[in-house]
Amino acid sequence: MSTHLSPEQLLHAYEVMRTIRVFEERLHVEFATGEIPGFVHLYAGEEASAAGVMAHLRHSDCIASNHRGHGHCIAKGVDVYGMMAEIYGKKTGVCGGKGGSMHIADLEKGMLGANGIVGAGAPLVAGAALAAKIKGTDDVAIVFFGDGGSNEGAVFEAMNLASVMNLPCIFVAENNGYAEATASNWSVACDHIADRAAGFGMPGVTIDGFDYFAVHEAAGAAIERARSGQGPSLIEVKLSRYYGHFEGDAQTYRAPDEVKNLREQRDCLMQFRNKTTRAGLLSPEQLDAIDARVADLIEDAVVRAKAAPKPQPADLLSDVYVSYP
Amino acid sequence: MPQPAPTVGIIANPASGRDLRRLTASAGLYSSTDKASAIQRLLAAFGATGVERVLMPTDMTGIAAAVLKACAGPNARQQHWPKLQLLDLPLTQTVADTRLATRRMVEAGVALIAVLGGDGTHKAVAAEAAGTPLLTLSTGTNNAFPELREATSAGLAGGLLACGRVPSSLGLRRNKRLLVEVPEQQLSEWALVEVAVSPQRFIGARALSHSDDLVEVFACFAEPHAIGLSALLGLWNPVSRQAQHGAWVRLNPGAEQALLAPVAPGLVQGCGITASGILNPGEPHRLSLACGTLALDGEREIEFAACDTPTITLDTCGPLTVDVEAVLAHAARHHLLAVPRGHRLHPATPC
Repeated sequence: MSTHLSPEQLLHAYEVMRTIRVFEERLHVEFATGEIPGFVHLYAGEEASAAGVMAHLRHSDCIASNHRGHGHCIAKGVDVYGMMAEIYGKKTGVCGGKGGSMHIADLEKGMLGANGIVGAGAPLVAGAALAAKIKGTDDVAIVFFGDGGSNEGAVFEAMNLASVMNLPCIFVAENNGYAEATASNWSVACDHIADRAAGFGMPGVTIDGFDYFAVHEAAGAAIERARSGQGPSLIEVKLSRYYGHFEGDAQTYRAPDEVKNLREQRDCLMQFRNKTTRAGLLSPEQLDAIDARVADLIEDAVVRAKAAPKPQPADLLSDVYVSYP
Repeated sequence: MPQPAPTVGIIANPASGRDLRRLTASAGLYSSTDKASAIQRLLAAFGATGVERVLMPTDMTGIAAAVLKACAGPNARQQHWPKLQLLDLPLTQTVADTRLATRRMVEAGVALIAVLGGDGTHKAVAAEAAGTPLLTLSTGTNNAFPELREATSAGLAGGLLACGRVPSSLGLRRNKRLLVEVPEQQLSEWALVEVAVSPQRFIGARALSHSDDLVEVFACFAEPHAIGLSALLGLWNPVSRQAQHGAWVRLNPGAEQALLAPVAPGLVQGCGITASGILNPGEPHRLSLACGTLALDGEREIEFAACDTPTITLDTCGPLTVDVEAVLAHAARHHLLAVPRGHRLHPATPC
């Protein structure tokens, strides 16, 4: 699998990661004001995973996300304005303001939804992959779940089904080290989540989730394999979240300098900038221009979301069934 | 005069055997359970040959815990396993853990270090081991440096050597290594088997297993039966571990002749060969590629750009390793594993 990416592809990858980062860091600030309803679970720190996987997908490929879904949405191409409005619970949101952070979805973009039930995305993508197989397309379906989700029966059942039916399905375990406040090395019985693949007759690999190129390469191999009818695979992406499990989490279970050290030494955006500029493939000015553009985009998205109208009681029954008036 | 009962170290890399080649080739899995079992087989052999104490680092994947549990079981008692002492070191779950454990073992004066891992793991241990010999066991993906061998037999050889029952001059061999220097990055690294030059610009998922990704390969040694990148040279211009020289090969997909080589498990690829030659010790070689990555012992580790001038130099002062076949052949000639009636492991001795 090649990592020979064009300058346009590299710039796009950086823009996706940068958009996720700024989107999440802004939500971290805005949530504290009390204006945002419900819970938010921020993806900052994990950007290379979503961007590296989604770089290989098209709209007809499906993904299912978990409660930490903003990064997956942005990388899959969901409109940032619609997302921000959705998280603010506004009528202009991608789900009319009725889904919020944890149920954000955009079926036209192949984003089957964030999900408040741990591990519940896995059976959904098994279904989407089965549909692709029956239709004879070469589409794939990908589920993102965490180390906590990797312990769920629904994930095992979906992995078994995907293997038995040789489905074009990829299971991406984003192992950020904590299931809420419980350390994965305490709560996951096997030594590496990737090893669980062997029990379902599929290959499993462990990848550095701080490195965009590592994720991009592994995901490319798995997706190519699935598109060509060779069946499912499991990718364990080892990464870390920069914020708590949810906004407001005091994170007393983490070492005091854990996040600070990761930000300084391993941050995916920092690594990407250093590698691509040293290689002479991108210039700092090109990346700075993206930074400025993304900052303006997120600022505008917040302003518009705050000003947008809320859904009305009459909107409650719309979007419940496909053909409901 | 009897030798003092020795201490040996055991280092198992929890992460070995899990890279991209499970997707791109047909590589298998070597789980932590398998590694813990291999260590128990080593302990049985060490116990039988008189090793008194074993040092092992802790880890986050349960290898040390499984071994510790087994040490309290009936097999350990019946087979007189050595005393296990765990090194409680701060863990980063990176190669730094392997390096730190090696340094602690060397400081503790271990007679040798048994290494369970791939070429990369052995490289990390060798970088810190100084003159401490290595007992090499393969638990990686496609390994050329450690030989594929059953841990019990290897443990017998290691135990005999550690206890001074086989002379070092007969049981140890000095290996070659390759020095990789990138002065512009203040980088100086060692490889134990080969260095591959790739046009891939980034380290990415590390493993290289496609001929298109190879421009040059430099090898300390290259055996015809090897698996991995050194197999290219092993099947074209083989060099033994004992020879004083190494070899290099240059590749191009457009070459007249392509060599079929097993570059990864289950992956036999045609590799166009345009030139090859000998590596003499002490002669630095420049690369034919201006920018790309360098894979040390199978994994991309160094990215170099047009502003860099990497060199590769063969060196004959690599790590000492246990020559298992030579040690056990000597043991057979001298009946070193024969025990008299009354010995704790003699069948007539009551348990």
